[in-house]
Amino acid sequence: MIQVDKLVKEFKDKKGGRVRAVDGVSFDCKAGEVFGLLGPNGAGKTTTLRMLSTSIKPTSGNATINGIDLVKNPDEVRKQIGFLSGATGLYGRLTAREMVEYFGKLYGMSKDKIESRIQELFTFLDMNDFARARCEKLSTGMKQKVSIVRTVLHDPPVMVFDEPTSGLDVMSSRNIVDFIFRCKQQGKCVIFSTHIMSEAMRLCDRVAIIHNGKIYQEGTVNQLLQSTGENNLEDAFLKIVGEKPARVQ
Amino acid sequence: MNFGKIFTIFRKELKDTLRDRRTIIFTFTVPVLAVPLLMLGIFKLMAGQQQKMEDRRQEIVVTGWENLPADLAEILPADSTLEFTTESDFGQTNSDSLQAALLRGEFAALLVVPPHFEDGLRLESQVELEVFYDRAEDESRTALGKLRELLKPYGDKLADARLAARDLPVDLTEPFIISPYNIASPQKFAAQGLGRMLPYFIIIACLLGAMASAIDLGAGEKERGTIETLLVAPASRGEFVLGKYFTIMLMSTVAGLLSLASMTVFFKYFASDPALKGLSEMINIQLEFSTVMLVLAVIIPLAGIFAAILLSLSIFAKSAKEAQSYVGMVNLAVILPAMVSLLPGIKLNHQIALIPIVNISLVIKDGLAGTLEWQYVLTAFVSTTIFAGIALYFCKRWFEREQVLFRM
Repeated sequence: MIQVDKLVKEFKDKKGGRVRAVDGVSFDCKAGEVFGLLGPNGAGKTTTLRMLSTSIKPTSGNATINGIDLVKNPDEVRKQIGFLSGATGLYGRLTAREMVEYFGKLYGMSKDKIESRIQELFTFLDMNDFARARCEKLSTGMKQKVSIVRTVLHDPPVMVFDEPTSGLDVMSSRNIVDFIFRCKQQGKCVIFSTHIMSEAMRLCDRVAIIHNGKIYQEGTVNQLLQSTGENNLEDAFLKIVGEKPARVQ
Repeated sequence: MNFGKIFTIFRKELKDTLRDRRTIIFTFTVPVLAVPLLMLGIFKLMAGQQQKMEDRRQEIVVTGWENLPADLAEILPADSTLEFTTESDFGQTNSDSLQAALLRGEFAALLVVPPHFEDGLRLESQVELEVFYDRAEDESRTALGKLRELLKPYGDKLADARLAARDLPVDLTEPFIISPYNIASPQKFAAQGLGRMLPYFIIIACLLGAMASAIDLGAGEKERGTIETLLVAPASRGEFVLGKYFTIMLMSTVAGLLSLASMTVFFKYFASDPALKGLSEMINIQLEFSTVMLVLAVIIPLAGIFAAILLSLSIFAKSAKEAQSYVGMVNLAVILPAMVSLLPGIKLNHQIALIPIVNISLVIKDGLAGTLEWQYVLTAFVSTTIFAGIALYFCKRWFEREQVLFRM
């Protein structure tokens, strides 16, 4: 469902030179599969996912999403994707319902379709009590639910999660994890970035280790463990990126 | 460009803006209530101060009171706001110490009547009445003015009597007189008074109206973390820019019109205030429907310039606080050209009609005065619209830059 082909993104640094934040990243992900991008802060995860979700343009390389060319047809790609990041905010002065309706309209959905999806999702996530409350008045967990509905309202075949649990407490991150599982069950193609190894082990069918803008290794969690001879993902990760932790002798 | 999407974005932004208390206060309360009230306060204070000075009694010390002719000595106390004291009653006879007391403000003026004053008058030689006053003091200047007014009819009467004694016509000493006839309409007169200030306040109201919502619609997106959500939504950058742009423009235009309306209503109401009777003609602005339409026509493109510039700055800023400081600079750049209507002698011509803000300021002023020349309105309108278009174009290009949108 997603084929990523040698994506490169360069930024200008402060001295006017060029920095490669993403340096030739390629991977693919099928429907019903959860693919994890695992890497430390600054590895290029967010930049890669921003390119996939069309908020920034790749310097070179391309990707096909549900058969649509990312570079040539970004507007169509947007309709195929539901994007959720840990930093995603809500418009505080809109109500939960208005917030979701607004995005439904932007996705070009009909009034009836928006209405029926809201009914369905708000009931499923138990949100009817606060549907007409302003987002600024909601708790973190409620806000999270509004974000989730906003992401899936248009029923996209591809889901992109950029560190979706960062800054959340145990309960709220559990909501997100459940949600990712449900997307997988519904046959969506899920791409997911994290720096939390345990999350990756639990959720991902396949993992790519990304560091300094490059993918170092890719495979199922078991394959990564076997190839490195380690028995947990954290050690495997450090071995793959070649940084031995300083051990006390 | 999909107009349906632009409209969806516009409606959402407008709803969002109208629910923001801070924006509403800046957009509506300040131009509608605060500015007129402030101006009225200043007017009232000025008028009251003037009145007070005239009503207050000033003391004038007279040396040589006994030298005054009897009929003049009777006339002087006629002005009840002046109090004449002889030097002996005051307790000082020395000229230097009297002047020192005057400087200390113990009385308002010192009138010196020379000996043989009455003889001089009778002999028809010109005699001098010295008045010492402190020009730096309002009280003292007022006393001098009152004294002049009090003495002038007496001198005129003497002159007339002298001419009559010689069988000469009384207008002999006045070869010609100047008779001014005011042909200005009350509208034009008012426009010269308060009308000079109105364009300035309308333009500032437009800017204030645009400012608050621009900060929220640009930097606010980054601050709330909604910008990423927005950028993955299937609307083009251009559609987002236009949706936001029209919202800011509308807020700006409404603020400008409200400012015009509230000032007119306020001043009409207060023109009947007896404390302001001296100013009532100056502040009684006649607002006709065509004037309102004219103001509307010129502030819409002006709002367009403001909206594009402020939105560009705001989306560049990482936070509302940063945006605020950029917007402050725009404020400075707008205030000075907007003040042109306050300066005497600057008139619209084809060159001036091309300069943004300055042209709008002068068009509104002339419009209120009813002395507008339409070719300049057209030039000003076209020029401002073109500037607004260029600003919007750059604003859109600016929105397409990742360095700007992801500058966090």
